[in-house]
Amino acid sequence: MSRAAQIGLAGAGLLALALWAWAAMGMLPVAAWPRLPFRAGEMSLDQILLAFGMMPRGVIALVAGAALGLSGALLQTVLRNPVADPTTLGISSGAQLALVLATIFAPGLLVEGRWPVAVAGAALAAALVLAVGARRGFAPVTMVIVGMLVGLTASAVATAVTLSQGQYLLSLVIWNGGSLVQQDWSGVLSLAAVLALGSLAAALLARPLRVLSLGVEGASGLGLNVAAVRSAGIAVAVGLAAAVSAELGLIGFVGLAGPALARSLGARTIPQRLVLSPVIGALILSLCDGAVLAVAGASGEMFPTGALTGLIGGPLLIWLLPRLRGSTPPGREAAEGAAPRLARPMPLLLGLLAALIAAALVLVWIGRVPGGWAILDAQSFSDFLPMRLPRLIAAASAGAALATAGALLQRLTGNPLASPEVLGVSGGAALGFAAVVYLSTAATGPMLYAGTMTGGVVALALVAAYVMRRDMPAERILLAGIAVSALASAVLSAMMASGDARSWTVLAWLSGSSSAVLMPGALALAALALLLWGAALTTARWLTILPLGAGVAGGLSLPLRRARLLLILLAGLATGAATVLVGPLSFVGLMAPHMARRAGLARPMHHVTGAALIGALLMLLADFGARMAGFPYELPLGLFASLIGAPWLLWLMMRTGK
Amino acid sequence: MVGGGAPTRRSFIAAGLALAAVSSVQAAPGGPRLAAIDWAMLETAIALGHMPVAACELIRFRVDSPEPPVPEEVVDLGLRGAPNFELLQLVRPDLILNSPYYTRYEARLSQLAPVLNLPFYTRGEPPLPKVMAALHDLAGAIDDPLAATHAEAAAEEELSRIAAAVAPFSDLPLCLINIGDARHLRAFGFDSLFGSVAARLGLANAWEGQTRFSFLAPVPIEQLATMPEARVVIVGDVPVQARRGLARAKLWQALPAVAEGRVYQVPEVNAFGGLPSALRFARLLEAALARPPEVQL
Repeated sequence: MSRAAQIGLAGAGLLALALWAWAAMGMLPVAAWPRLPFRAGEMSLDQILLAFGMMPRGVIALVAGAALGLSGALLQTVLRNPVADPTTLGISSGAQLALVLATIFAPGLLVEGRWPVAVAGAALAAALVLAVGARRGFAPVTMVIVGMLVGLTASAVATAVTLSQGQYLLSLVIWNGGSLVQQDWSGVLSLAAVLALGSLAAALLARPLRVLSLGVEGASGLGLNVAAVRSAGIAVAVGLAAAVSAELGLIGFVGLAGPALARSLGARTIPQRLVLSPVIGALILSLCDGAVLAVAGASGEMFPTGALTGLIGGPLLIWLLPRLRGSTPPGREAAEGAAPRLARPMPLLLGLLAALIAAALVLVWIGRVPGGWAILDAQSFSDFLPMRLPRLIAAASAGAALATAGALLQRLTGNPLASPEVLGVSGGAALGFAAVVYLSTAATGPMLYAGTMTGGVVALALVAAYVMRRDMPAERILLAGIAVSALASAVLSAMMASGDARSWTVLAWLSGSSSAVLMPGALALAALALLLWGAALTTARWLTILPLGAGVAGGLSLPLRRARLLLILLAGLATGAATVLVGPLSFVGLMAPHMARRAGLARPMHHVTGAALIGALLMLLADFGARMAGFPYELPLGLFASLIGAPWLLWLMMRTGK
Repeated sequence: MVGGGAPTRRSFIAAGLALAAVSSVQAAPGGPRLAAIDWAMLETAIALGHMPVAACELIRFRVDSPEPPVPEEVVDLGLRGAPNFELLQLVRPDLILNSPYYTRYEARLSQLAPVLNLPFYTRGEPPLPKVMAALHDLAGAIDDPLAATHAEAAAEEELSRIAAAVAPFSDLPLCLINIGDARHLRAFGFDSLFGSVAARLGLANAWEGQTRFSFLAPVPIEQLATMPEARVVIVGDVPVQARRGLARAKLWQALPAVAEGRVYQVPEVNAFGGLPSALRFARLLEAALARPPEVQL
């Protein structure tokens, strides 16, 4: 490590200390500070506030930051993946879902604190992500995409369950924000114990991890039990991250930033990184909390610290992207097994079209009323048609648009896990929606459309800027999208943490609904879906060549950058339009192209068309389920799409590995 | 078919007729058929004696606002954030009651029936006057202005009676909170329903004047230390995971209100309600203050 880096670290430490001390001395002059040992009974109220509020807060920022930094360093070393951390691997979302479920269905589990529940949820999510990752050689981008998808699903379910309670769960909203406020030393003590254990384990693992860094084959050859070392490293990392989230809440990206900065400060060896990452993590969280304290002292607003680290996380991921090179063995990211190929796809496509029309006809005629099911008579039919038709058209068009976007992205990047959800457009659109809800007292439909559209376009522009880079492999474009999504979810949770009924509106939209769509909107979406499909067909030649890799594409004199940019813009536009009308929906864009592939639609033209038809069909069914399952309570469409999509996705990923 | 019983056209028509019939029993004789999307509007209609024929999220509403009870016959329209428009159409309302929170559905709703959209909760403005004004606005819209006059007079009378009863407690300011977790609380400032009602009862709000604590923002629990002389009133239950944390927390235990036994608790009240919730809160507050404060966490 260079001298400059050491001085920089020391300076950061001093700044963090100064920020804390400034806040602390604002409470009480140093002369009046209580002496050790702290006895609450003999102190004034101000002294108690300092000794049991401000002091443990300053310490817990260091301890939690160190724990997260160590967790990230372990994950990155074990997985040989520079963007692995508890947030990007879905571990935090697992803990979040477990806590939501426990809070609502089994509050008794929380009597002893959040620890057991949070650890169980985090471990389950990690196990899932790793099980999928193991089948794909732990390829970095794939791991992050799987983590993102698991995280998305967990959040979708958590949101839907929260909504179904019709109750604003303050404790969960605060937890999502990740606040460092303390009122005794118990949190510090338990986290410090976890950190001590984790450090011990990391020290023991340092040598085997160095052997592992030679590569799996080499390490096995030297007699190392690779599986045991990997599981131990990951178990320690998950334990550390879950402990922090149980004690404080969601604090994202410190685990990513610590090791990343450690590397760029010159920590070359694994032991160096394992030591330096926690130190940097502690400094980052401490600095963030110091900034939050300074803002709180100046304005009195409570701004959760976790939301601030999230704000730093998005840009950090984007900064890390170009530095991701050379870490992936070629061919690992695309582990799609050979798909069957139909000689005559026309009958299948026509069959799908017929099924779509039949489903639409049936769904327009049947429905539930209080007391049972019913087929509409002529009078009710004419009454209901103006309401039902836009909704069916919107749902089907959204499904088709998302599926087309998904097919384009999967072909473009050669990554079977690419989907519109990870493109960042939905995240940007969600931010735009939330901004309108929070900035205006009575947001009308057109205002919300405009805001959502703007957010989506900005996110798309950001991702497109990456596409323009000559040296950027296509799958890393997905990471740019993930970074935007991460940024969006951080800002959203900060907004929610300031909590009032407006958060409710945002939550409801996030979980998706097609019920408010009117005819003009539905028709516009349908037209856009058709347009997109047509545009995709004209790029069929590109779509055949692009999955073969940049070299082949360049050799065939394909205008690579222009082709990519155009395809990404098309996909982003479709995603944005669907998101504006029916909310960010998961999985249809991922599932439909796969189903089309599995059904034997191999040529780009047939693949895209089949994916669009399947997407429309899936969304019609999801919309029907969402309306009927909890009648008269309309469940979130996004939840239903996820419930269909998640098991399918897992099955697929477990299966196509080797 | 997908469902259980054999669906027929007849059953559908029958259901529609049944809904209409049931609801016509509900509506005041000759009164318009109301459907409420927003809870504050629902409560306003109830306060006027015009029970809507349909309203949103009744399962939760009956828990949060047990009085006055909503009859079983009132049709549940589903979530406030995603009302069931088809069911709403089946109910054939004459007037739909909405609030600015759900303005984005205005276009869709107005295709079904005229919509009355009244504001209740605006940052920085006490809601109780708006609650009273809403009585008159709604009563005007349904041609029953006397109902509003009666309801307001009865409410003012009850509030004055309660104000007199709690007058002995006006010596110390009241600090209305809702516990979020062991480290955070939600403050009910002057622009919340509870803060506004407390002000009407002549009780000073400890958060008063500090606009930064307005509108239900979550704040760290240590903020309670800035108002050592206040009586703390916890609205609603304390979440289980917060109980243990608070019981052992040195800071909470050292707060003057806690150490000196000035913590009261009232059951859950709809914080975004109308007149019935305002009155219910006033009554619960009166009862809570009358009991010796012994909140066990």
